[in-house]
Amino acid sequence: MEVRTFLGGAHIPHYKSFTEDKPITRLSVPKVVIVPLSQHLGAPNEPLVKVGDKVEVGQKIGDSQEHIAAPVHASVSGTVVAIEPRPWYEGGETMSIVIEADESMNQDFVPKVEQNPADLSKEEIIAAIREAGIVGMGGAAFPTHANISQKKAVDSLLLNGAECEPFLTCDHRQMVERPDDLIAGAEMMMRCIGAKTCYIGIEVNKPDAIEILSEKVKDREDIKIVPLAVKYPQGNKAHLINAITGRNVPRGARSADLGCIVRNVGTTIAGYEAVVYGRPCYERVVTVTGPTVPKPGNYIVRIGTPVSHVVREAGVENLEEMKVVVGGPMTGMAQANLEAPVVKSNTGVLILPREMVREDVEYFDCVRCAKCVEQCPVFLYPNEISIACENDMISKAESWDVMDCIECGICAYICPSGRPIVKFIKRVKPEIKKLQRSRR
Amino acid sequence: MDNTQGLIVSSAPHLKSDMTTSKAMKDVILALVPVTLVAVYFFQTYALFLVTACLVTAAVTEVLFRKLMNKKATLHDYSALLTGLLVALCFSATTEWWKGALATFIAIGVAKELMGGLGWNRFNPALFGRISLILLAPWFVPLNSGLSAWSVNLGTVDTITQGTPLAMLQQGMAMPGFFQLFAWYPGGAMAEASALAVLLGGLYLIYKQHIRWIIPLSILGTVFVLTLVAGQNPFYQLVSGGLMLGAFFMATDWVTCPINDRGKIIFGVAIGVLIVFFRLGLAATEGVGFAILIMNAFVPAIERVTRRASFSAPRAVSIPLPDKGTPVSK
Ligand code: SF4
Ligand code: SF4
Repeated sequence: MEVRTFLGGAHIPHYKSFTEDKPITRLSVPKVVIVPLSQHLGAPNEPLVKVGDKVEVGQKIGDSQEHIAAPVHASVSGTVVAIEPRPWYEGGETMSIVIEADESMNQDFVPKVEQNPADLSKEEIIAAIREAGIVGMGGAAFPTHANISQKKAVDSLLLNGAECEPFLTCDHRQMVERPDDLIAGAEMMMRCIGAKTCYIGIEVNKPDAIEILSEKVKDREDIKIVPLAVKYPQGNKAHLINAITGRNVPRGARSADLGCIVRNVGTTIAGYEAVVYGRPCYERVVTVTGPTVPKPGNYIVRIGTPVSHVVREAGVENLEEMKVVVGGPMTGMAQANLEAPVVKSNTGVLILPREMVREDVEYFDCVRCAKCVEQCPVFLYPNEISIACENDMISKAESWDVMDCIECGICAYICPSGRPIVKFIKRVKPEIKKLQRSRR
Repeated sequence: MDNTQGLIVSSAPHLKSDMTTSKAMKDVILALVPVTLVAVYFFQTYALFLVTACLVTAAVTEVLFRKLMNKKATLHDYSALLTGLLVALCFSATTEWWKGALATFIAIGVAKELMGGLGWNRFNPALFGRISLILLAPWFVPLNSGLSAWSVNLGTVDTITQGTPLAMLQQGMAMPGFFQLFAWYPGGAMAEASALAVLLGGLYLIYKQHIRWIIPLSILGTVFVLTLVAGQNPFYQLVSGGLMLGAFFMATDWVTCPINDRGKIIFGVAIGVLIVFFRLGLAATEGVGFAILIMNAFVPAIERVTRRASFSAPRAVSIPLPDKGTPVSK
């Protein structure tokens, strides 16, 4: 087996054993869902319903006229009780549609169509994906239809099954449990973008997924399974492209410029269902886990389910001395309260005890241990960057290429002086962007 | 459940590695225990006394300077104690205690704290302290007689009368067998009593990933090759004169060595060249210390020329052939 990877990066304990063998199951439907109106990167949506309206599961409730936008859908059947700003997992508030579930109504989605993607034109497939509100479900949240309606020639489709962040197993389980849908979805996307080859990159810590998928594609030339070394951040787009194709990804280049398009495996399956059954993105698989969680698992969660409901259903009683993270442990967001809802791009809800989490408490001067420099996957100098950012030396930080930083978190994870390097970087980046804009 | 008071909130990443500066420093001290024990075995009370004097001075100086400079105490990071121990090991056991103490004071007070504290010093503090004493030696004659009243009588140990192996080597005297010299031969500084013990400590540090193998290997490799070319016995050169301590514990000091691998190679090779130059050309026995300090001064220059390009920097060939990833195993 040939295993590929990129240079640099870190070996971080993966803590996946809590949920990697847990089949995907459904989480109970909450009484109230809070569906943020815009859950994608791009133009904001407008509501299509008003307070008091009855809605059904899968009904479109928010959309925009713009191309780069993805509609949102009701995730329960019930009544719209409010359209107002509500907490958002990244902090602050965002305009959301609050729906109270009606127990007398059917809470399951009923497919309206059943069609074979092979019978549909490219345009019809892309339209169906847009209508279903599919966005990058690995965290990027970029509208998928915009991604696959490229005019540039693209030779390869790269499916991202690396799932390199610790704890997360939702993509892993989907690959193991739904390999046929994944492959069918891949074929469909290849057709849309005109790709000749599809590479499915999977880290070798998921041998069952590699085995099952390899078995399924063993007779075909156009889909290849690429085992990847277990290394963080293997699933970052540029690093995945580099590992699989050997191409460099210069700053500013979009992946289509390099002849490839990268999609997350979960997104591919969701896109397939959107086309075949007209099933919109109103639920997703979320890994709910942590070393002390009584019922960890890979749960299908309705979009808009409050994090508090997810945490309670996983059996967690006491949150004292805990950190609740939405997303992965390296890049996700810690929650100050649990009112924010789960949205389309959330891969996990992690409940982590104090002993294992990093906190922004006390930190020391850089001792130049070189660990961050050795492991930074973008080959930056986080030591210099952290000193420049700490002292607000904006142009110095810029000269150390801070804008190339992908905020993977390795440097702050590894730093023996406990320096909150990523926090520094996030603070400085917007200022540099402003500066760069004013220079133009 | 509705009580979310106890939640911990902070920025990403949410995991941390289990390495901290104080743990690393403790490990380095641990790695020096074997050679310290060998020294204590040979030099008994002399060694114990000198080591204690340096450790106490280190702690006192650190606390004093931090206090004077209005900074938080950092004794708990163990770096001061490590420096004290390293200074002690650079002296021969019979050195007057106040010389060790003075060197430690200079190391921590001047070379470290006055430079801004751990992380900001340009020179390896322990070596800076040790070498300062050599340079200051002419001033000691009056001092020595003045302070002799305070010198402590520690009795006699017969091993201490042996000559320094490196001096013997340079004067062409009859040498003990290689393995004896390597493993177990008192003479010179305390750290020279057993190159083997130092090597074991160094390998432990590499195993624990506190240091990389690059610097020690490039120093030792360069010394080996150059002395071989110069017609010397390279094995004797490797195990004598504090070379092991310098290569594994001094040149690899996080703060004062280049940060990336290319820089580390340049640094190591240059130190090796300087050591051989000092040893063969100048007959200096403190060549290792001088060589490392000189190269410490060049670290900023080395960093400048070895800076690597960002992963996202545009490269000349941006689209190589497909199917050319980086295989790491077959
Ligand atoms: S967060 Fe940025 S600087 Fe730090 S290791 Fe990742 S890419 Fe490098
Ligand atoms: S990991 Fe921390 S201490 Fe080490 S070089 Fe980077 S910033 Fe400095």
